[in-house]
This record gives sequence, structure tokens and C-alpha cells, in this order.
Amino acid sequence: MAKRVAMTGNTAAYTGASLCRPDLIAAYPITPQSSVVEGLAQMVYDGKLDSNFVQVESEHSAMSVVQGAAAAGGRVFTATSAQGLALMYEPYFRMSTLRIPMVMAIATREMTSPETIWSGQQDAMSVREAGWIQMYCESNQEILDMMIQGYMIAEDPRVQLPVNICYDGFYSSHLIEGLEIPAQEDVDAFLPPHSGYTYLDPGHPQALDPLTPGELMLQYRKEHLDAMARALTVIDEVDARFASSFGRSYGGLIEEYEMEDADVVIITIGGMSGTGKDAVDAAREQGIKAGLIKLRFVRPFPAQRLAVALAGKKAFAVVDRSVSFGWSRGPMYMETKAAVADADERYASFSAIGGLGGADLSFDHMLGVIRKLDEIKNEPGEREPLWLMQN
Amino acid sequence: MSYIDVLKETRNVMTPGSSACQGCGGELILRRVMQIAGNNSVFAVPPGCMAGAGVDGWNFSNGCTAPIHITLLDNTASFMSGVSEMYQRRGRTDVNIVAIAGDGATADCGFQSLSGAAERGTRMLYVCYDNEGYMNTGYQRSSTTSLGSSTSTTPAGAAINGKEQQQKYVPLIMAMHNIEYCATASPSNMADLVAKIQKGLAASKRGFAYLHVFSPCPTGWKFQPDQSIQVARKAVASNLFPIWEMENGKLTLTENRKPITIREFVAGIGKFSKLSDEEIDAIQTMADNRYATLQKLAAK
Repeated sequence: MAKRVAMTGNTAAYTGASLCRPDLIAAYPITPQSSVVEGLAQMVYDGKLDSNFVQVESEHSAMSVVQGAAAAGGRVFTATSAQGLALMYEPYFRMSTLRIPMVMAIATREMTSPETIWSGQQDAMSVREAGWIQMYCESNQEILDMMIQGYMIAEDPRVQLPVNICYDGFYSSHLIEGLEIPAQEDVDAFLPPHSGYTYLDPGHPQALDPLTPGELMLQYRKEHLDAMARALTVIDEVDARFASSFGRSYGGLIEEYEMEDADVVIITIGGMSGTGKDAVDAAREQGIKAGLIKLRFVRPFPAQRLAVALAGKKAFAVVDRSVSFGWSRGPMYMETKAAVADADERYASFSAIGGLGGADLSFDHMLGVIRKLDEIKNEPGEREPLWLMQN
Repeated sequence: MSYIDVLKETRNVMTPGSSACQGCGGELILRRVMQIAGNNSVFAVPPGCMAGAGVDGWNFSNGCTAPIHITLLDNTASFMSGVSEMYQRRGRTDVNIVAIAGDGATADCGFQSLSGAAERGTRMLYVCYDNEGYMNTGYQRSSTTSLGSSTSTTPAGAAINGKEQQQKYVPLIMAMHNIEYCATASPSNMADLVAKIQKGLAASKRGFAYLHVFSPCPTGWKFQPDQSIQVARKAVASNLFPIWEMENGKLTLTENRKPITIREFVAGIGKFSKLSDEEIDAIQTMADNRYATLQKLAAK
């Protein structure tokens, strides 16, 4: 039977991962992720989880060990943050381009320099072109649930891609919320045992990933992109199936909040969304027709659903907890602009950047973004980026 | 069974037609490791000469008849850790898990993952063919390159004469990981090499086994291809490459009662042709000291 408990985001992450019965877990500590692998270690050492638990000497090896185990047909899990993600980039890119499904949690953290250990989304955003599916959670319940959905999306024959479940370091990873833990038998009924292809099998000898000529490579890349495009459908399907099994729906690619009659829209990513929704409520009390879109998946990018959700609206801002150095704006703002490039509307819009390196992303910031949108909503065009700093 | 019978009665796992250079030591070592491990194996061969020669199955007409993966240059041991864990998990302990990598993938950028897998006691055999450099990319120096070697990144120049450092001695570092089996070998002593491959495979069923094999490289070292085995023999005879094994914490040294000098070893090898007397003396001192250390470790 499902159980109601209070737990941190990291506990939700490892609880969700353990319910998926991974064959192998590779573990290496990094703040703020460490308690994910600590929790899994405790379960394995207590005999409560039947997984091979490999304690590696780096994140590069964490991704390499799970890659080897997955190439041998296993369901695998690991978790990381920031510098660890950067260190594992080499096998990380190879995991998706080998088209091997898995789930990895990222407790997102700002990238050094300046030296930092605190929250931010620059780590995961920086690797969004590495071929993985990437989604961002708002609540601890969502973290737990998305571990389960993550394996179902990753292993779908139409997809066959690894999935990152991202959530804000400290703000989500270390804060406690009430949530419901699904019963193991319900998860087992929802998520079938992994029947991953054993690439390295003496019974069916083959060379895995030999040196590949460009013409074949083009075909592989196109197939990878096609799988990403198919994932757009699969993600929404899995959300609906999850809702019918567990009674919780997150909207799939995006979540819409108070959008029906909204004029101005704030687009949020991850844990900041709760604050954003409070700000929307407050703005509505002040007579501003505000709405919110929570960008749940950034890879594949839900361009079409965003365009539909923004149709008929006057103004939007995207709050990014990371930067795009080349655009001097937030990365998800730029991608949202691309998504509405062919829209009938000409929007008033701006990029809002805040919460870097653990800085507070407050209710006042969110309300300020909405108020500014309301001020500019009748004059289309882009405004200067808004930096959400303490005044 | 004599080693000749072993080699006669086992099938080549690698097909003919590899594009390795004539006289390649690495290719000979790889063939022997693969045929003794057999087809009920999973192999990893990272980028390097052997991958370049087609072992990982590039040119559609030759390659490996057993499952094989070209790992990243720096993750061979950790990738194979994952493969090994899954095979242990499924009770398929009959399958040999074997990595064959050059010294760059072993001693330099792959060293961390190698050390990690060894420390964890991963059940696998890791074979390093040490040709003292990055031969596949054009003979650049590695940490196992001998002092004074003229390589493409340590040329014998007017200001600096070849590599300025002595080689890193990887096999003893691996032995200190307290692994199941650790040995050095040379293709100039095939009976010993075959026996050590067999011992390494047996040990890989209990934990981590490591073989460090001298790999003469006519192209990079600049000597005639038909001299490869002779160069390997002289490397052993000069104590530049001592032969030993370590099992159950006990080191056994193949005694070299009449060593030749380093000067005799380097004669006729192009990459050593500009060695100064001081450099030859320094290599001799290093080789003598290292051999003395091994004798002490092997003392009963």
C-alpha cells in the first residue's frame, strides 16, 4: 500500500530509483547529491535492495561502470551534480549516442568559477546538447514519481535514450516535504522488468561501436533526433498512464497554471515554480491576468506545446537559473523565443536571470517579473534582460 | 600441455587481415590473449594501435569474432567493471572479461579507472601492451617511455635530448593494489607469456588480474621488423623489463643471472641513437636499482 511520509528531495530520488529495481548502481559522492547514493548504499547493505552497488573513484567511472552494465543488459542508476557531471561528460555523451536507456538524477548546482557548491541549473543546462532527455522537478513527490516515469520513457522502444531527472540542489535536495511512496507492487505493475538488449554477449558476438564512417553517422544522428521527437509524444503518454495508475498528473512536457485567461506569462524551471505560482495568485488579486508555464522537459524541447500555450498571450518572461554566455540571456528564454518565432502574435518579452550560486529567487522577484510584464504587455518587442538581484 | 599445444589447439579469435605494422609486438600479444581467452569472452580494446589495426571491427572484412567494444581511452577498466558486474549478477562466471590496452590508456589517462577497478577487486583480466608511447597517433611520449627516448613530443633536439624523465613502473604499482594476480611478461618468452595469460584468466574469476607485457614497436622505436623478438629478448636480458609475478601477496622473480648492459640493449634502436653516456648510465642505474628492489621483494 502507498505510504505517506515526509522526506528530502534526495531521499525521494533514491526511494524512487530503488522502486525501479536497478540491477546496478554506481556511486560517487558530490554535494548536494551525496545522500542519494548514501541512501542506496544503506538499502543495499541492509539487504533491502538487490542491486550491485559499485563504489567508483570518480564520476567519469560512475558513468563508465553503468555504461558497461547497461551494455551487458542491466537497468542502471547513478546520480551527480555540477563538477561531477562535467567530469563524466565524455562517457555521458557516449551513453546517449549509444542509445542506451538509463536514469540519472542531477541535484543541480552552479558551475565553478567562482568556487561554489550551491544551487543553480548551469550544470544540467550546459549539457543539454549531449543527447539525453532532461527534465526538471518542482516538488519532492515529482522527483520520486519521475524516477519511475523516467525509466518508462527511457526504455520505450520508440525512445531508447537515457534520461536526466533534475531537481534544485539544496532547495529540493535537502528540504523536506510530505509525499506518497507508491507500493512496490504497484510500481512493478506499472514498470515492467527491464529487458535491455545485451550488446556484449558471447552468444551473439558483435563489435559495439566500431569506428563509423560519416554517411552512417549522419543516419545514426538523424535516428537519434527522430527518437527525441518521438519522445515528445511518449512523455505525455507516460504522464497519462502514470496518472491512471497513481492518480498524479504533471502535465507531461509542460505544466500550465492559471493560463486560460492569462495575458502575461511567467515561464519557470524546477523548484522556483512554486514561488512563481504564489506570485501569479498575488498578481491576480491585484487585477493582473497572470499565468505560469512550468517547463518540465527541456530535452526534447516542447516547442509546439509552448507555442500553443502562449497563443493569444501578450507577454512572457522566462526565469532562468543559468546563463547562455553567447546570447547574454537565459538559455531557456532563447529557446522559448525560437519556439514562438512563427507565432501570429508579436510578444513583449524578456529574459530574467536569478538564483545563481544559491542566491535567493524570491516571491518579490517573481512578482516583479509579472508586474514588469504587465507594464510592457501592450508594446511588443524584446526588453533588456532582468537580473533578479537583491536591491 | 605445452604452450605450443595450447596455441595449436585454440582458435584465433581475431581474424587475419589486421593492418598492424610488420613486427608489431602488440598484435602478437593481443592474438595470444584473445585465443587463450577464447570466444566465450567479452573484450575491450580502447583507442590505440590495436583499435587502429582493425581489432574493433572497422573495415568490414576483419576484426574480432567475439563481442568487443572500443572503450574510451580512459575508461576501459571502469566500463569493463560494469560488464563484469552484470555477468557476475547473472551467474555467468564462465564468461571471460578481458581488456587489452596500450600504455597510454593504462598508465596515463586510463590510470585512475584502472586503479579503481583493481582496488575494487573487479573480476577481470587487464592486459597492458607497453610499447612506451602513443604509437598509434605518431610515437608521442607516455609515462612509461624510457629516459632519453626520441619521440615526436620529446625529440632529440639541440637543446633537449629526448625524454627527460625515467619511466613510471606501472606493474609494481598495480601489484601494490593487493590484486589477485599481477605479472610482467614478454613475447620473447612465449611459454611464460602463455602460462601467465592462463593464470591471469583463472585469477580473473576471483578478482582483478593484471598483465604488463613488453611490446616491441619497430615503427615507433625505429628498428627492423624482423628484430622485434630480439629487442624484446634484450629488454628482458638487460633488466629494463624484468619478468616476475605476484600471487597471494608473494612476488616471484624470474632471476636474470647474466644480465647484459643497457648499452647493449639500446644498440641499433633508432629512438635511443642519440643517447648520451650520462643518459645510458642513468637508465642502467635505474634498471639495476629496480631489479634490486624486486629481488628484495621476492626474497623468501
